[in-house]
Amino acid sequence: MPYEDKVLTRKSKADKGSGDRMGSGTVLSSGDKTVPDPILSPDPLSTQRPKISSWRQFKAILRKDIVMELRTKEMITSMGLYALLVLIIYYVALSQAGTNFDVSRISAGLLLLAIVFTSMLGLNRSLVHEQDQGQLDALLLSPIDRPILFLGKAVTNFIFLAIVEVIITPLFYFIFMGNAHTSQMGPLWMVALALLLGSIGIAGVGTLLATMSVNTKGKDFVLAVIFIPLMFPLLLAVVTALNAVILGNPDATTVFWRFAGIAFGYDVITIAIAWALYEFILGV
Amino acid sequence: MPEQAKGTNAQVPALEVQGLIRIFGARKALDGVTFTLPRGAFLSIFGPNGAGKTTLLRVLSTLTPPSQGSGGFKNSGSGARVFGYDVVKDAVELRERIGIISHNPLLYPDLSADENLRFFADLYCINDPQARIDELLEAVELKHRRMDLVRTFSRGMIQRLSIARALLPHPDILFLDEPYSGLDPHAADILDGLIASVRDQYTFVMVSHDLDKGLELCSHALILARGKVVLFEERDDIDREQFRVLYHQTVGLGVS
Amino acid sequence: MKTSLKWAVVLAALGGILTTLAFVGAFTYARMQTNGTVNLPPAVARQVIADSKNGFPLAPPAQQPSSPNLLAVQKPWFSQKIFFFHVPLAVASLLVFTIAAIFSVLFLVKRKKSYDTRSRIAMEATLVFIIGTMISGDLWTRASWGVWWEWEPRLTTYAIMTLLVIAYFVLRNSVEDEERRAVYAAVFSIFAWVDAPVTFLITRILPSTHPTLTGLETSNLIPFMVGMAGMCMLGFAIYELRFNEVHLHERLDALKDDLEG
Repeated sequence: MPYEDKVLTRKSKADKGSGDRMGSGTVLSSGDKTVPDPILSPDPLSTQRPKISSWRQFKAILRKDIVMELRTKEMITSMGLYALLVLIIYYVALSQAGTNFDVSRISAGLLLLAIVFTSMLGLNRSLVHEQDQGQLDALLLSPIDRPILFLGKAVTNFIFLAIVEVIITPLFYFIFMGNAHTSQMGPLWMVALALLLGSIGIAGVGTLLATMSVNTKGKDFVLAVIFIPLMFPLLLAVVTALNAVILGNPDATTVFWRFAGIAFGYDVITIAIAWALYEFILGV
Repeated sequence: MPEQAKGTNAQVPALEVQGLIRIFGARKALDGVTFTLPRGAFLSIFGPNGAGKTTLLRVLSTLTPPSQGSGGFKNSGSGARVFGYDVVKDAVELRERIGIISHNPLLYPDLSADENLRFFADLYCINDPQARIDELLEAVELKHRRMDLVRTFSRGMIQRLSIARALLPHPDILFLDEPYSGLDPHAADILDGLIASVRDQYTFVMVSHDLDKGLELCSHALILARGKVVLFEERDDIDREQFRVLYHQTVGLGVS
Repeated sequence: MKTSLKWAVVLAALGGILTTLAFVGAFTYARMQTNGTVNLPPAVARQVIADSKNGFPLAPPAQQPSSPNLLAVQKPWFSQKIFFFHVPLAVASLLVFTIAAIFSVLFLVKRKKSYDTRSRIAMEATLVFIIGTMISGDLWTRASWGVWWEWEPRLTTYAIMTLLVIAYFVLRNSVEDEERRAVYAAVFSIFAWVDAPVTFLITRILPSTHPTLTGLETSNLIPFMVGMAGMCMLGFAIYELRFNEVHLHERLDALKDDLEG
């Protein structure tokens, strides 16, 4: 086969700087002793290894996931479609509620429910992407700090979740709350802040849990079982805060800040734990 | 204990494994594995399924930590050193010096060849990544397909690309984890050619089920059974027939 | 016999005795708590008060009905007795849950399989005590509030804890590799242990109807404390005994494997 010959003949082109740093070939003298190919051989200067930049590694993970997503549009499409289906189920569930029913009273919960279910789909997907061809091993073999890897995956999960939220939140508003009594509703940035705090927690804890659940027998099921009870405090805090904003009761601001504070505290605590424990999950 | 010589010192052997243990509960994946491999050698590891071959490779490549036990070096350390780097204590430094070629491509199918290498170049923080990627793609004859998605590649092309990925950070040692499995004869020939062309520059450790291929390539052979070294010898000292008999005996031992 | 096993047996016996004492004490020594009044004809009322040896005391004048033909007698609060078991069960469940979390941390650091086993056994004990707490609490809600379940903060917290412990076992059962299973379970139980107080905290901020422990009188406090001590001992003893059993099984399996090899 000519291919082999091509590879082998390239050796003769080898030239300058073919250092014998590791003493390779001196210990063992088998094989032909043509001049080594500098491209395929160990770097003669590799005593001066490049300086590891965590920031560059972090950006690389982010860029890789985003490029892959832009190409396949797999996550956004599947998450978006799923969220849309949840909204349709809401419509079915609420279709007989009558005109007197004020949807805004339960809208915070409905919206968060759609987001939670959609996020689980995305979390599972994003980790399956790393697993199906052993890419995670390749990541772990590189000189990357495990927490940076966690941060990279968590941030990409957060970005995809945020995109889906930006699409479905207005959609939810127009479909279900067009006629609702929303005159009292607080400022939009408060809604955004509550959702932001929720999404950070979902992406942080979810990335850790999804890394575990992709290695189990019942991937999606296990993720749901371990994810929802752990997220309970956050979900309750976010729903309470959101509800306060939407209903705009007199004490809305107080309630909002108290529960936004709790959600923030939850995010800080759980992400700190996830940061510390991620390495253990990857070590087996 | 004086600081262990590492890396560039030519006196340091490629692999120094002493009483390496990997136990969990009653299961002994590695049970006191001991051997020393000189630089530039090609080690083939044979053994039945569950003998601990893959575990050994994963421990040596820092993916799995060894168990702390009675084994290990006298004063400190985990029981395995690669070029003088302890697989636990110096894991971060060691990772830059290891390349792995596995039966799993370890590549992202939805990225192009170029993007895949670019991603790993960033993880290794390689200076001037584009130049390095270009020369590697040329060396593995994939330059014309560099912009194509890995998804569209044939098995052989993927294997060539994963060799390029493994060589990207200028490693000192290459671990081959059953690289021939799933390759058609033609792709296997190409892989042979590539390995032959870099044979002299690296230390190799290969896990294989294929006795003939493994013996043909190697300079040292190791048979592992139930987490223990049954045989570790230079190939030139090996009587092929005896070796074959011994190998089949260990296969009969089954899983530990 | 191993020392730890001896201690466990002693603790189990002692815990059993103390819990029984608390049970008896709750109905004899502890003064009967009252809840509400019942109006009876004066003759019947006096008879009831006399027969029950002050189990049904006369209601204070403010609660007496205006009609002279009726006399208000305070109703004894039998369901309050549940409290003497419900609270110790809950405290014991937190105790074994904490043991599970501690051994999870130890396991991650030391990677000894017995730590994983200890953590798992403690989780099993947690599940038992949580179920006990849930059942006793449920009897209480039915008797006192008239409903089987209410989304009340403390109940919700507990329901979430139950789900976390169940999730722990679901996670364990779905991982095949032994060590990976142990590591995942350890990570999850640490997470769950930190999560439980947060759940507790958030539900506490919402208004609650759950009774809190304030101003317990001595006659009630003594059986209660005895019950607490007994139940915690029982919790620890159950965990320790079960661990010894499982540990023996594991050693036996290992020996069998060696013989086969």
